[in-house]
Amino acid sequence: MTSGELFLQQLINGLNLGAMYSLLALGFTLVYGIMELINFSHFNVFMVGAFIALGVLRLMGLDGQNVILSGLPLVAVILVAFVVTMFSTGMIGVGIERLLLRPLRAVTGPAAMILTIGVSYILFNIILIGVGGDTRNFANPLPSVSWHFGEATLRLRDVLIWGITIVLMLGLTYFVQFTKLGKGMRATAQDPEAARMMGVEVDNVVGLSFFIGSALAGASGLIFGLYYNYAKVDMGFSAGLRAFTAAVLGGIGNVPGAMLGGVLIGLIEAGSSQLIGQAWADVIIFSILVIVLVFRPAGLLGRQAPNKS
Amino acid sequence: MISRRSAFKAAAGIAAAGTFAVTEGAQAADKTVKVGMDLSLTGADSESAIRVGNGAILAFEDANKYGEVPGIKFDLVKFDDGTATAGQYDPAQAATNARKMVSDKGFIAALGPQMSGAGKAMSPILSEGNLAIITPSSTNPDITDPKFAAQYRPKGKAVYFRTVTTDAYQGPNMANFLAKTVGIKSVYILDDSGAYGVGIADSFQKRCEELGLKVLGRDRLDPKAADYSAVLTKIKSLNADGLYYGGVGQAGVKLAKQVYEILPKIVKAGGDGIYGVELLKGAGFPAADGWYASNASPHKDDGDKKMKEFSDRFNARFKGSPDDYTLTMYVAARAIIETVKVLQAAGKPVTRDTVRDGLQSVRMANSLIGPVEFDENGDLKNKVISVFQVKKDASKPLDNMDDQFAYIGIAPMS
Repeated sequence: MTSGELFLQQLINGLNLGAMYSLLALGFTLVYGIMELINFSHFNVFMVGAFIALGVLRLMGLDGQNVILSGLPLVAVILVAFVVTMFSTGMIGVGIERLLLRPLRAVTGPAAMILTIGVSYILFNIILIGVGGDTRNFANPLPSVSWHFGEATLRLRDVLIWGITIVLMLGLTYFVQFTKLGKGMRATAQDPEAARMMGVEVDNVVGLSFFIGSALAGASGLIFGLYYNYAKVDMGFSAGLRAFTAAVLGGIGNVPGAMLGGVLIGLIEAGSSQLIGQAWADVIIFSILVIVLVFRPAGLLGRQAPNKS
Repeated sequence: MISRRSAFKAAAGIAAAGTFAVTEGAQAADKTVKVGMDLSLTGADSESAIRVGNGAILAFEDANKYGEVPGIKFDLVKFDDGTATAGQYDPAQAATNARKMVSDKGFIAALGPQMSGAGKAMSPILSEGNLAIITPSSTNPDITDPKFAAQYRPKGKAVYFRTVTTDAYQGPNMANFLAKTVGIKSVYILDDSGAYGVGIADSFQKRCEELGLKVLGRDRLDPKAADYSAVLTKIKSLNADGLYYGGVGQAGVKLAKQVYEILPKIVKAGGDGIYGVELLKGAGFPAADGWYASNASPHKDDGDKKMKEFSDRFNARFKGSPDDYTLTMYVAARAIIETVKVLQAAGKPVTRDTVRDGLQSVRMANSLIGPVEFDENGDLKNKVISVFQVKKDASKPLDNMDDQFAYIGIAPMS
C-alpha cells in the first residue's frame, strides 16, 4: 500500500464514520432545533430500531450473511424494512411525547431532559430482557460491489451511506426552513403561546416533530445494521455519544452543522487511529470539542440562541 | 475462564449425591481416608459438574476395586458449592465447604473446585488447614501466583494444585504456535482494554519479542465502538502476517467481521475470550472462519488410543462421554492415588501433611493429559495450551462450538 493509497483509504474510512455519526445526529438535532429539548432517548430509539429492522428482515427470510439480493427484490425488501422500521420507531417517539413529555411541557428546567434519560434506560432494559445482551448477526442482502484505487477500496455501501446522509440532510434543512409545517415547528420552538395564537396546532406540531425525529432514528438503526451487520443492546450508548458530540460540535439544532460535526469527528478518528493509535482517538476528539466550545460556545455553525423570556 | 461448552453435551450418568464408598475388594482392616470433592452441583454448571465429578469417581472406584493401594480405602465425599440463590457457584458456600473439610482430620486431600471464584474463597482456608486440593478447571493465574501468596496461601506452602494450565500461558504459547507452527514473521497486537484482554495481549507481546517475532504495533480497541476499519487499514498498510487479539467477544465479533473484509488473508488468533459460541453467532460465517483460539486446558483427542480406552471405560460406567475437564479431574484423582501409594509403600503415615508434601513431588510421566508434575506453586510444570481453529462444517449446526471449532493440537511450550 503506497502512502497515497493509505491516505485515500483512511479518508474513505473517516467519511464512513462521519456519515454514520451524522445520520444519527440528524434526528437528534432536529428535535432539539424544534423543541429545544435534548432528547437522550433518541439513541436508544435508534437501538430499538435496529432490532425491529433485524426482526423485519428475519421475517422476510434474511438472516446472517447467506442471502444476497439484487435488483427489484433487493429494493422491495429494503423498502419494506425502511417503512416498517421507521413507522414503528416513529410511533415509539409519538408515544414517548404523548404519554411522558406532554404532561411535563409546562415544567421549566431540565426535568424533560432527565426524563428522556430515564426513557432511554427503559428501552435499553426492555431489549436487554426481551432479546438479550449478546451481539446479533444482522442480515446483509447488499451485493458486495466495490471499486479499487490501487489497494484502496470504496464499497457500494460506503457510497450509499454518504448519499443517504446528504439527501436526508438537504431534505430536513428544506423541510424545517421552507415548508409551512417547518415554519410552524420553528415558531412553536420560539414561543408556543404566540404560535398557538397565530393558528399553529402546537400539540400536533410537537407530536409530528417527535415522529420524524424517531423515524429518523429507526432509519439510522436499519442503515447501521446493514452497514456493520450487527445489532447489540449497547450500540445506542456508544454510537450516541459520538453523534451527540457531532451535534454539539456542529452547533446543536443546526441540521447541516450536525453533518459537519459528524464528518469532522469521523476524519479525526480515522486520522488519529492511523497516526497515534485508536486508544487515543477519544482523547483527541473530545479535546477538539472542548477547544471549539471555548471559542465558539454555540458550535461551528450554531448561532447564539435569542434570549427566551 | 471455564467454558460452558460441555453443558450442551448429553449429561453423563448421575452418581448418587453425598457420601459413597466402594467396598468391593477391600480388606476389613483397611484404613479409610477421605477425599473431599467440591463441585458446582446446583445451578447453571450442574450438568458439567456431574460429568467432571464422574472422572474422580471412576478413578477412586477402580483404585478401591483393584486394591491399588494395599491397606487403604478411598472415601470420596462430595460437597456442593452451588446455591439456588446464586444460580451457580457461590464463593461463600465454597468457603463453608473448605472449612468442613479442614475441620475433619479424616480428609487427606481434596478435589475441585470448577470455578476460579470458588477457588479464591477456598484456598486461604485450605492453606490454614494444610489440606491440598487439586482443581480440574480453574485457570485464574492469581490463586497460585507467588505475588498473591499472602492472600491465597497465608501458611506459605502450596495447597492449590492444578491439572490445568493457567491463563498466564495462553498468550505466550499462542505466540510460540504462531511463530513456530504457523510460521508467521510479523504480527500486530490489539486488545479490548479489559483486564483480561490487556493481560493476555501483554504476555503475548512479551513472548513475541523474546522469539524475535516482529511486533509491528500495538493498539487498544474501544469495545463499545462499532468501527475498527481505521486501525485495520493501518495494519493492512504495514503488511502484517498475523493479528493477535487479546479480549472477549464484545469487540471480538465486530473485529472478526471487519478483519474479514479488510484483511482477508491475515492469520488471526486470540485467547479463550473468543473461544465460544459468541464468535460463531455474532460474527457468523464466513467472518469467523479461520480464527485460532487457545484454551488453558488439555483437549480430549478422540484419535488417541489411551483416550479412547478411557472414554470406553467411562461410557461403560456412566453411559455418556467424558469432556475435557473429566480428564483433568480423573488425572487429579490419579495424582492423589499415586501420592498415597508412594507414601504407603515407603511405610510413611498417610495424613494431609504427608499427602501435601507428597503431591509436591509426585510424577506421572504418562497420564491422559501428558506428563504431570507440580511446581512449588502448585501449577502444572507441563503447560498444556490447546489450540483450536474455526473451520466451517456446513453439515453441522453453525453455532455449535464442538462442530465448528476444530482441535488443532497443543501449542509449543517454548
